[in-house]
Amino acid sequence: MFHAVVAIKQVPDTTNIRIDPETGNLVRAGVPAILNPYDAHALAAAVEWKRRLGGIVTILSMGPPSFAASIREGIELGADRGILISARQFSGADTLATSYVLAKAIEKIHSEEPVSVIFFGKQAIDGDTAQVGPGVSVRLDVPVITYCSKILLIDCEQNEIVVQRKAENYTEIIRAALPVLLTCEKEVSKIPFASLPDLVRSLRYEPEIWGYEEPLELDRDKVGSKGSPTIVFKTATPAQTEAGELIYCDAVGVANAVKKVLERTEFRSATRVME
Amino acid sequence: MIKKVASLNHQLSFDAVVVGAGLAGCATAIAMAKEGLKVAIVERGQRPGSKNYFGGALYTHAIAELLPDYMEWKPPFERAVTEAGFWFLSQNGLTKMTVQGGYLDKAPADAFITLRSKFDVWWADQAQRLGAFLIPKTTVVDLLRGNDGRVQGIKTDREDGEIHSPVVIICEGVNNLLTQRVGLISHDLEPSRVALGIKQLISLPADIINSRFGLQSDAHGLAVSVLGDVSLGLPGMGFIYTGKNNISVGLGVNLDVLAEYRLKPYEVLKHYLEHPIIKPLIKDGQLLEYGAHLIPEGGWTDLPALQTDGVMVAGDAAAMVNALHWEGTNMAMVAGRIAGETAVLAHKKNDFTCNTLSEYSRRLKDEFLLKDLRQYRGFSKFLETHPQFMDVYPSFMNDAMGLWFSAFGKPKKQLFREIFQSLTKRRSVFHAAADMISMAKAVMGW
Amino acid sequence: MILHRVWVYIEQQGGRVHPVSWELLGVANDLAKQLKTKIGSANEKVSVECVLLGNNIRTLARDAICFGAERVYLVEHSALEQYMNAPYCKNVTALAKKYAPEVFLIGATNLGRDLAGAVATSLETGLTADCTELVIDEVDRIDHPLLLATRPAFGGNILATIVCRERLPQMASVRPRVFPVPPKSDNAVGEVITEKAVIDFRDRRVELVERIQIDQEGVNLEYADIIVSGGRGLGDASGFKMLKDLADVLGGKVGATRPCVDAGWIAYEHQVGQTGKTVRPKLYIAAGISGALQHKVGTQNADFIIAINKDPHAPIFDMADVGIVGDLYDVIPEMIAQVRQQKESESL
Repeated sequence: MFHAVVAIKQVPDTTNIRIDPETGNLVRAGVPAILNPYDAHALAAAVEWKRRLGGIVTILSMGPPSFAASIREGIELGADRGILISARQFSGADTLATSYVLAKAIEKIHSEEPVSVIFFGKQAIDGDTAQVGPGVSVRLDVPVITYCSKILLIDCEQNEIVVQRKAENYTEIIRAALPVLLTCEKEVSKIPFASLPDLVRSLRYEPEIWGYEEPLELDRDKVGSKGSPTIVFKTATPAQTEAGELIYCDAVGVANAVKKVLERTEFRSATRVME
Repeated sequence: MIKKVASLNHQLSFDAVVVGAGLAGCATAIAMAKEGLKVAIVERGQRPGSKNYFGGALYTHAIAELLPDYMEWKPPFERAVTEAGFWFLSQNGLTKMTVQGGYLDKAPADAFITLRSKFDVWWADQAQRLGAFLIPKTTVVDLLRGNDGRVQGIKTDREDGEIHSPVVIICEGVNNLLTQRVGLISHDLEPSRVALGIKQLISLPADIINSRFGLQSDAHGLAVSVLGDVSLGLPGMGFIYTGKNNISVGLGVNLDVLAEYRLKPYEVLKHYLEHPIIKPLIKDGQLLEYGAHLIPEGGWTDLPALQTDGVMVAGDAAAMVNALHWEGTNMAMVAGRIAGETAVLAHKKNDFTCNTLSEYSRRLKDEFLLKDLRQYRGFSKFLETHPQFMDVYPSFMNDAMGLWFSAFGKPKKQLFREIFQSLTKRRSVFHAAADMISMAKAVMGW
Repeated sequence: MILHRVWVYIEQQGGRVHPVSWELLGVANDLAKQLKTKIGSANEKVSVECVLLGNNIRTLARDAICFGAERVYLVEHSALEQYMNAPYCKNVTALAKKYAPEVFLIGATNLGRDLAGAVATSLETGLTADCTELVIDEVDRIDHPLLLATRPAFGGNILATIVCRERLPQMASVRPRVFPVPPKSDNAVGEVITEKAVIDFRDRRVELVERIQIDQEGVNLEYADIIVSGGRGLGDASGFKMLKDLADVLGGKVGATRPCVDAGWIAYEHQVGQTGKTVRPKLYIAAGISGALQHKVGTQNADFIIAINKDPHAPIFDMADVGIVGDLYDVIPEMIAQVRQQKESESL
């Protein structure tokens, strides 16, 4: 049976973040928390294939209780089961500690029902590191295929998957044996507009909460801030650049404005450093 | 394709479905849920309040009639309205006429300045606390009818999107497309009877607000209606509401006026905000929000049929707004409550025909609601046909008061002559008197 | 003797090295210099080294030495002919375990990001992604020098400096064009050490069926010296034709902001900004771009920035060297005409 596990994260909507001009701190008030867009697309792909092949989709997230809203959103998008791994001890986790906990959780889920494909969004829009997906794959000894832009085939009988992945200058077609871990681009699937029964189900859904003691057996030195080799040393706001001269077309006319600008610009024709 | 087995026997059914989780919608849901009915509220926005915007202040009588213990649930009000009145603005002058203390010195206050993005969420939470089921991000597109034409529920824009129920209460707001579709009203919104309310929400420290508006403490609040040079000489009313650490400054102007003069709403607002009297009040404030919302002003003229078999309509969708008295939100809540109580009655009788549901409009007639809508039916038109109330009279008032207070050392008979001339150079006595009579008629509803 | 190794991963595909690897060798040498000034004892040394995997790529090792590597660890095998995550990760990890570098830098290209997270997890160490600044810590020194890695966070609104204590190597990835390519020195001296490949037959469970080169237009924005970029102010896709004309007459390339790419007006290859490409052209012309921080992060290293926008309050003017407040549909054609004229008069 096709069993997809989708790892999701709730993130602040970074397109709407402002800096307080006086304190230099992030203004978090009023910034909505959303389901990481790449995760949403990855989930949509998992659900699309579940609908084609039959099977189930389990979503998984590590975070504080407020992440439950995103789990519900995942159920709305078509997932069957939602697990929130939440405990004080997990806070302060960097990507290494996060991949440890998620890998342990996926192992447990796999022991209950074998997992065919693990889906990740390519990166979270707050951290932007794109590290947790590959990290989990190493821990589970499951091959990882990053930047998937299209899933061409999943065959659970033959245990095979064929995907298209996107790099800067080329596209690859990759065939792999299941199970695999995919990190996904947005184009991997469109976000569906949920049916009313799916939406209603999500509104009533209570995620399963997995804590620190159980059902997972975790090495306390590998979770949370304890298990995080990287820490934030300090933060700063980027230096404000000095504004340059402003020339108004209304005042001097378009032709003069352009003339002035070209006079001030020094440029030579393009010389490429490397081909 | 293997479909989930569950969806085959998945039929959503409720005792009542409410269209819209705004003030009327949640009020009607509260009224029904309190009596044990299974209620669904279908809201097209991301969350309640995301499609709502106003000045403004809410009136506690309407909340208390539904939830007598509402204060214990900590409604997210801004300041209480402890001072209210009118400001008459002319091009370079301002006469303030406000009242404080006395009737406005109650606890809890009769009115609280409020932000809809916070309040609507709280209001919907109250409905859910009492058992109503909120379905957001979903738009109701039509009624569901049986073969015999009877109302069986609603259809939404989602797949498998039907919800069954014997009674539907439409609280869809000013853009009353479903109300029209159902046939409760035969025409669409008429631009001359719809205003656009537009405002800026500006952040300012509480103590600055207190000192600029003469408020004793952070718990004191001001709500004023500004008449005069608000909307470029065109029919409109301005407002100012003081929040905890923010102020709402805005105005309402009719759509047909905007269209006729090819005005962009933001231009009109900008003129108001840059007025030499208004500008210093918002100085150094930080813009938090800028928004607009339609306000139905047709009132009595645009009142739809309030019920038909299986359906009732309440709130802005039924044009329940009295612009002069800033009442609309309480009308929505009161009408919502009465519609909900009517639905409970219909369930007891197991009869959802128009006959039974017309208990709704019967009861509304006894409330202030319909009486006032009828009384003020001519007011909106009156302002349009009497633009002198926007410019002539406010500027006259400013002149008169100004003359009075600069007449030191002047013979007072001369002062009175000057005041009189200040009026007559603008408007003859005859016309002024006629204006007063017209205004009385418009306000008294004769 | 204590040897502090500073490592760089040399990214190669089809026998060509991605220039970011050379940029990182420059950074590695900078870090080595900083390290050397802090070393007290004569018993400690710093070495800049790199890791190179592939098949029949020995000549590239020489290039690495010319760009500043003292030592190249070379792994060649037919199984490493094409980049694949599993075999590359295993081999890099094995080398890192063997030689215990203290700092390990990888270019944050698609390939680099595919590899770095897997390697870091295999080594149970910390990795800081997309760094814009790397410095050896002035103050703190435990038993190994601390790398301070600074990166933009929250859409570029904040710069966070990250440290990785108690784990080695301290890994960092850096986007192309954040740092300059160092000078190449043809008579540099260095060592090439051939290492045995680690081959796991299970890695054959992932197979590369086909690789299709897409960059037919030769976009390669990151290394362009002149970029003419368009934003939402263009109004629709046709605006980019006009910008292409200007780019052509200037000898440059066309860039775009994320909203334009999201709206489908132009392909992703042209996207400049935090989630697109980081560029450091000599000349950057921003037309109809408001200048949101995410865009700024990708373009602030340009030598000279001209901004064109109708709105005098657009944030882009804060970072531009000179700005024109006007309609880009008037300004750009005028600019094309004047540049053409100038070129003609120059060639006379």
